Amino acid sequence: MTAVIMALLPSTAMGVYFFGWRSLTLVIFSCLVAYLTEVIFETYRNGTPTESVLVSGALYGLSLPPYTPLWVAAVGMVFGIVFGKQVFGGFGKNVFNPAIVGRSFVYVCFPLYLTSQWMTPISGPLGRLFQYTDLDAMTSATPLINFKHTGALASIPDLFWGNISGCIGETCVPAILLGGAYIIYKRAADWRYPLSCLLGAMSLNAILYLLGSNHVLDPMRNLLSGSLLFGAFFMVTEPVSGCVKPQAKLIYGFLIGCLWIVIRSFSGFPEATSFAIILGNTFAPLFDEAVALLEKKKKAQMQVS
Amino acid sequence: MNRNVQLLWNGLIPENPIFRLALSMCPAVAVTTSVQNGLLLGLAVVFVQVFSSCTVAIFKSFIHPRIRIPAYVIVIALWVSVIDMILPVISPEVYKQVELFVKLIVVFAIIISRLELFASKEPLIPSFFDGLGMGIGFLFGLCLIGAIREFFGTGQLFGFDILGFNPLLIMVLPAGGFFVIGFIMAIFNWVEFKLTGKIPTSGGAH
Repeated sequence: MTAVIMALLPSTAMGVYFFGWRSLTLVIFSCLVAYLTEVIFETYRNGTPTESVLVSGALYGLSLPPYTPLWVAAVGMVFGIVFGKQVFGGFGKNVFNPAIVGRSFVYVCFPLYLTSQWMTPISGPLGRLFQYTDLDAMTSATPLINFKHTGALASIPDLFWGNISGCIGETCVPAILLGGAYIIYKRAADWRYPLSCLLGAMSLNAILYLLGSNHVLDPMRNLLSGSLLFGAFFMVTEPVSGCVKPQAKLIYGFLIGCLWIVIRSFSGFPEATSFAIILGNTFAPLFDEAVALLEKKKKAQMQVS
Repeated sequence: MNRNVQLLWNGLIPENPIFRLALSMCPAVAVTTSVQNGLLLGLAVVFVQVFSSCTVAIFKSFIHPRIRIPAYVIVIALWVSVIDMILPVISPEVYKQVELFVKLIVVFAIIISRLELFASKEPLIPSFFDGLGMGIGFLFGLCLIGAIREFFGTGQLFGFDILGFNPLLIMVLPAGGFFVIGFIMAIFNWVEFKLTGKIPTSGGAH
């Protein structure tokens, strides 16, 4: 669990660089709220709070837009921890990823703060390192929203380095890749999740793009924009809400990737992270069951022959 | 307690159709975005439930057991047609929003299950009170869910602005409906646990 927090540091640092120190405040505040909620519930249940709650808090904080008011962040985090985790019995028993539950709750509940207030990209080399927040830089669009409404495309280098408007932790691709490589190296996350998820997203994206649908971004931009990479490395890999069997993990990731592209391209929402992962979480136990059943059948056949 | 009063009370709380029997959840989630919708649909259900129960209780000796379900459906459809002509006169505005579900009362699980479980075995008077109790229980459930969702979703009650802003938009979405029903079910179960000391098995176990 400490490995995941370490892996999130580069993304957080780049969030501060691109969006000012308020980003760090949001992340730390989310962790604090998450920890307090956990302590209250665990005291009631005579359990001990685990540090996994800090991971949820940090992931949730990094997935918020830089202008999110603190009270909105707090409402979503409390909801995520209570209804994503504690009602199912605490750590290790959650069906859904608590960070994603909180994120989708605020996404649906407060569209004003979560979908229409973004920060414009930086201009100077120092970014917003000496600013707490930048109220004059408010804009209403991210590259994905722009594409949805006007068909405008962002430049690939900007998308790669993260100089675009978006949520705190999702924009800078090198930082995410660094963190992702670290958790996979430390075995805090299974490499199958990100691999199959990105594979699913890219293959479906490529097929749709080649078929000539004008709702679909080209695969390269789709990979780099929004929170596809951030989600694939840090959200999908949450071990408790995922699958157990290796083959099931591959199916699970692949399905989430496909859903991601479908929701992003053809629904009213510009971004699909939370919905794709929540749907994937719902079906995760089913994939385990299916794989177990297939294995059993295979074994029986081998014994017969 | 008098048996008839007991039947009435039974439908309201101990066997509330929505929160204890978990029947007819689809309309309970779909129409309860405001109190008015819930109230109107609830009234329609009370009417249909009471009259269908009475009709079946009177004519049960004429209904062949093998074709009892189609016969019940025809009885319910008769009373739904009646209420479907009355409601637009009472409240044309609200009727427009619940129109589809008023017609769907024909297939509401709660009504047909009460006919099957109660009215087809009991005489007229208890059937009347059972139907009335179940109907009022359903009405109570719809109004409670509608009030909570309207208040937290839009800041209004009965269409009057109380808060002046939208506190939680999710409440007027279907997901909010499930959350509210789950909450109230949990409260019902908790109260039962406190009163009887047993872990409740109902709330979908019937």
